[in-house]
Formats: sequence, structure tokens, C-alpha cells
Amino acid sequence: MRFSCLQENLAKGLATVGRAVATRSTLPVLSNILLATEEGRLKLSATNLEVGINCWIGAKVEEDGATTIPARLLADFVNSLPPERIEVQLITRTQTLSLKCANYEANVKGIDAQEFPIIMTLGDDMTVNLEPQALREMINQVAFAAALDESRPVLTGVLAELSGSRLTMAAADGFRLSVRSSDLAAAAPESVSVIIPARALQEVARVSAEEENPIRMSVASNRSQVFFHMTNIDVVSQLVDGNFPDYKQIIPKSHSTRTVVDSVALLQAIKIASYFARDSANIVRLRITPGEAGSGGRLTVMANSAELGDNVTEMGAEVEGAAIEIAFNAKYLLDVFSVISAPKVALETSNPQSPGVIRPVGDDRFIHVIMPMHIAR
Amino acid sequence: MKPRSIHHVDLDAFFASVEELLDPAISGLPIIVGGDPQGRGVVASCSYAARAFGVHSAMPVAQALRLCPQAIVRHGHHSVYAAYSRRVMAILAEYTPLLEQISIDEAFLDVTGSDRLFGAPETLAHTIQNRIQVECGLPSSLGVAGNKLVAKIASARAKPRGVLVVPSGQEAAFLAPLTIDRLWGVGDVTADRLRKEGISTIGKLAALPLRDMERLFGNGAAGMHRRALGIDDRPVVTEWHRKSVSQERTFARDVSSIEVLMHCLLQMSEEVAAQLRKDGDCARTVVLKMRYPDFTTITRRVTLAQPTNLAEVLHQEASQLLRREWKRGAQLRLIGIGATGLVRGRQLALFDDHSEQLSRLSRAVDKIRSRYGRDSIRRAALLETSESPEEQPPREGNGRPMV
Repeated sequence: MRFSCLQENLAKGLATVGRAVATRSTLPVLSNILLATEEGRLKLSATNLEVGINCWIGAKVEEDGATTIPARLLADFVNSLPPERIEVQLITRTQTLSLKCANYEANVKGIDAQEFPIIMTLGDDMTVNLEPQALREMINQVAFAAALDESRPVLTGVLAELSGSRLTMAAADGFRLSVRSSDLAAAAPESVSVIIPARALQEVARVSAEEENPIRMSVASNRSQVFFHMTNIDVVSQLVDGNFPDYKQIIPKSHSTRTVVDSVALLQAIKIASYFARDSANIVRLRITPGEAGSGGRLTVMANSAELGDNVTEMGAEVEGAAIEIAFNAKYLLDVFSVISAPKVALETSNPQSPGVIRPVGDDRFIHVIMPMHIAR
Repeated sequence: MKPRSIHHVDLDAFFASVEELLDPAISGLPIIVGGDPQGRGVVASCSYAARAFGVHSAMPVAQALRLCPQAIVRHGHHSVYAAYSRRVMAILAEYTPLLEQISIDEAFLDVTGSDRLFGAPETLAHTIQNRIQVECGLPSSLGVAGNKLVAKIASARAKPRGVLVVPSGQEAAFLAPLTIDRLWGVGDVTADRLRKEGISTIGKLAALPLRDMERLFGNGAAGMHRRALGIDDRPVVTEWHRKSVSQERTFARDVSSIEVLMHCLLQMSEEVAAQLRKDGDCARTVVLKMRYPDFTTITRRVTLAQPTNLAEVLHQEASQLLRREWKRGAQLRLIGIGATGLVRGRQLALFDDHSEQLSRLSRAVDKIRSRYGRDSIRRAALLETSESPEEQPPREGNGRPMV
């Protein structure tokens, strides 16, 4: 294998696939990135057996071939090089990759490409086209609510439901639920409900940052894998096996207080409160007071710590219903208010022990549910 | 730093003294406040007349009655005791804001620098003792010293109805002749062991070379040496939110069975969890404490994703720490479990999952116990078995913070 390419292109390609490299694997080849020439381009691949990423970059190929190279060393070396052309050659006999750029030169020992697992390619599967901007927004509004701990594997995933021309994503970690739906340009050929690892979706959002063309999402006919096809990048992920809890059951059907406030002001108040809540389980209390005749209502955001001190922020709010004081984990509030772009948000509450519902005003595609914290006495 | 003036006020035979006030007819007679002599009740408090027969607190009531058959047994009027306790504490609070109540009948006062106001420490001690007697009708003893450790030992030496002042600089000399079991941190098992080594007094312990101290106490050697010399910098803590809840057991015989240790952890997890729920706290961190026969003491901790007040979670985490640390053939002389990183709030769960169910179950058990007593309901796993290890019985006022 012999090719040359621009340092910027190779560095960017390595960064794209780098997050799929296995960090703690007993299989040494999974710590490597596959480099292979393919139809006059260079293909980079990495996989941790759950998520795989392929990325194609422009290169001047002089001799076809493939090898795998330790990801970390290769990326560190390439990132250190000046933005010039890199000459790359594989010494097949020793599986050593020789790289030359300006006055820098390195030989990196690799592992035979034959040992690298094959990453699935697109077959005749159920496919829909998604607008990249909308898909990224959906992922950003949902994936953070998925569980990080593996005690209930289905909760580490995002439920993706395709029905007609509507895609709905939902994630829950046992304390909060985030649901977002979006309309597709064309109806899906069939209804599908799969659980995609949140990490995989977060990779899709990351690597599609510059994508302008529709992203093709395909679900393998045996429902074991999902595939995101972009212009120069493919992401493939295993699906999570199991039944996602019936999230519609969790969304409260009614409320006794509805509070509408300025999103930016609320986010700022919660951010400040979170500094004071750090030492006391992240507890932020919201006191909601209705005004008279539907105006003059107030939302007070409070946090205190026995050792550090306390903080209070008051803001005007449109409050419908009864006064209430309810406590939430500041982190959960920050997470959700950080992904809402609508100028106003509504918080619907019933009592201090029941879930709070957060909706961007004027946008019924997003809904978020957070369980409160119970404060002793 | 100039010497502090710390008073330790301890009410003499508190519960029994209150019983005498409630029923003057029994005044001066041997009185036992405690559980049911038919069952396994123990003596919570006893009058000095009963002590003359060899009765002491934590002794089974049945045994106490064999020693002193004529004793009058009272089952306790806890709300009355609490009311008297509040009256005593209110008197103490008049002398200093630096008041630390450590139990229903004991408190530390830091009165450093108030000589001009209240007279010399000894005068003040007598004033306080007198007021408690006159205004509440209760006898008390006071120890006065430059720190809490020595003040507490002094009040115990002063009992009953005494005042003992240990002048600054005399702490080590005061402790030296006292028996080893008087020292904070020396339980019955440790005391036995030290006596076997010929170390019968605190003075002998203080004189031990560092090497011997390390052999005897492992990494606790430095702290033990300081205590033996009567050095203690702990401040009088006025307003405290509990920082941790813990339980530990010292075994009469070293334990080598991991099943027995797990069983013990479950029992202690229940107690710790119940205390957490009572205080309205949840713990973020679980600590396992292990002490080997050579006194090497280690602690291992794990921080939870969600704070808990459930025995099941505490036990599971502590067991996991134990299993990870356990080596075949090892023995332990002490095992303890602690819950720290306490927070006053519990994240409610979205799904009605296992932990929510356990939470409801635990609250129901708490209610049953508060109504019908601690032993009215228990886990099948904690029924008495031949596996239960022999334990050192807990002594009065023996609540030692572990972490």
C-alpha cells in the first residue's frame, strides 16, 4: 500500500473514527484503526464491536493495500505534523507503516488487516432519509437522558420509533424521560421500533456536524443493527435487545400548576443555584407563586448548603394554578434547559412527589419529564 | 493557643434519678430502668443503690435481678426523661453558646475565657452542679479539663455528685494511674489484650515505644499514643449536622468466616439505614472498616450513583467491598460499616422499580418497629442462628464515630 494525503484530511479522518476505537479490549486489533485504499480514496475504520465508524478521505493512491495501526499513536503523531502532504507506505512483510511529512518521519508497527472485524455495509434494509440538522437536534434533546450505568441495559439506549412519516426518540434513566418527535419528508416503508445505544447516536451527532445531505438511516432486516450513511462517513451500531418501558405511561396526563418562564433567565438561575447545591445532593428548590388574575406570578429558584451558604433568584412567571414548592436535581434541570431553544418554557407540576413536565412553549415535538427530589422535613 | 476550659457534665444514673423524682417513695432504693426480665432486656440505667450490688448498665435485667432481687424495675418513661434533659441543657446554655450535647444526659461546655464572668472553672462547675440539683432535682458530676477527652474521664472519676478539675499540664499525670479501659478507643477486647501484654494502666500505654504501639494498634498507633498522653484537639461542636452514621462490631473471638461477616454487615446495615431514615438523610458513600487481629485497620469506600437510605443497598455495597478485600484464611477482630456524604434529599424514581418498593417496605418496617419495638419484625436472614458470632455487648454512651 502506498498513498499520499493532506495532513488536515488524515487528522480529521482519524478524529472521526477515533471515538469508536475500543479502549479496554482483550482483542489488540480493536485498539487499531484500519487504513485501506478503496476506489482511489483512503478508508479509515474503527470499531469496539458495539459501534463502528467508516470514513473516507481524499488521497492519491499509488498502490492498493490495507493494514491496521494503533489508533492513539497514529493520531498523536499525525496531529503533531505541519499541514502538509504526508507520504505513506506500508512495508507488507513487517506490517510497518512508514509516514513522512516535511522533515518528520515515523515507522509505526501494525497488525494485519485480515484480523480486523468486518463492519457491516448497507444491504437491502428498511431505509429512511433524515435531515441532518433535525437528527442532530433530536439526538441532543434525547440521548443525554439515557442511563450511564448498565444495570438496566435497555435504558442505556434510545428508543427510536418509526411510524408513518414520524420518527420519535425517547430515553429514560430511571429519574427522567426525554421524548422528541420529528416529521420525515416521506413515510417510512414500515413501522419500526428499535433501541439504539445512546453512545452510538451521540457519535452520529458528532460526526455529522458538517453533513448537509440527508442521512440515510437503515435498520437491518433481522433488527440487530442500525446504519447511518452520510456522504463520507458511515456509522453502524448494534441494537440493544429488550423491551423499552412504556414511556407514554410515565408522562403525566394532568397537572395542577403550569408555569411559563423565560428560558434563558431560568437556565441562568439554575446554573447559579447549582453552584450552591453542589454540596447538598444538587438539590434546587423551585417555589412557584401565582399572581392575581393570571399576572404577576413568580418563580423563585433556591439552593443552600449548610457549609457554603445560599442563593435565591426570583423571576416573573405566568402561573396558572396553585402555588407549589418542588425540588429537583440541578443537573437534570441544567441538562434539559440546555437543549431547549424556544424563548419560553412551561413547567407543569402536580405535587412535590410527582413528576414535573417541561415543554418548550409553542413546540409540541419535545417533552421532558423529571422526577422531583423528596426533601426530608 | 491558650489552654481551653472544657466542662463535661454528666447526670448521675439519669433515668433512675428521674424515676426517684416521679415516685419519691422509692428514693434511695435499688432501681433498675430497663427491659423485660423475662426476655432479653438489658439494664439501661440503675441507681447507685443498685450498683452497690454489682448491677451495671448493659447487663441483662434477669442477671441484675439475681444480684439484687429486691431491686425495683421500671420500664422507662422516655418522654419524661427527654423533658428533664431539655431543662438541664437549658441551664447549661446560659453559661456558654459553645454547648455540645452528646447524649440525653451528657454535654460538653467550652467556657474558655469566662473566669471573670463566672469565677474559676471549679467554682463554675459547682455552680452548675448546684443549679441542676436545685432546679431539676437531679444529681450530676462534672469533669473540667483543657480538652474533651480528659474532661469526660474526669467526670467519670468524679461520680457520683462530684467535681474534678484536671489543671492544664497535668493531663498525662492524671491519666497515668487509671486503668486502660478508661481510655477512649479501648474497648473490652482491646483492654484484655493489653492487660495480657502487661499494660494495665494508661501511663504504661503512654510509655510504650512507637514500635510496640504500631504492633498493637497498626495505623491507629499515633492517635492512641496522643490519647494516652491526654492530648485531644477536638473542638466543642455546637450545631452539627451528622456527617456520618456507622456501626461496628468487635468480636469476642476473631472471625474467619466470610458468611458470618456478611451476616454481621446485614445486621449493621439495617441499623445504619434505619438511623439514616430517622434523620431524613441519604448517604452517597458506603465505607467498610476491617480490623485484623494485628490491629491493622483498613477502610474501603464506594460512592453511589444515587444516595441511599436502604439497608439492602448498603449491605450489597459493603459486601462487595468485603469480597474484593477478602483473602482466604484471613481473620477479622472487627468489622464496621459506615454511611457518609449525607444529603437531605432523595431522588424519586420514574419507574416503580425495586428500590421504590424497598423504600416503601423499609418505611413500613420503621413504623412497625417504632410502635411495637425493635424486635417485633425482622428479616428471616437475621433470625438467631448458630452462625451468629459472639459479640462484645455495647456499653452505655459507646457511640463512637467511625469515619
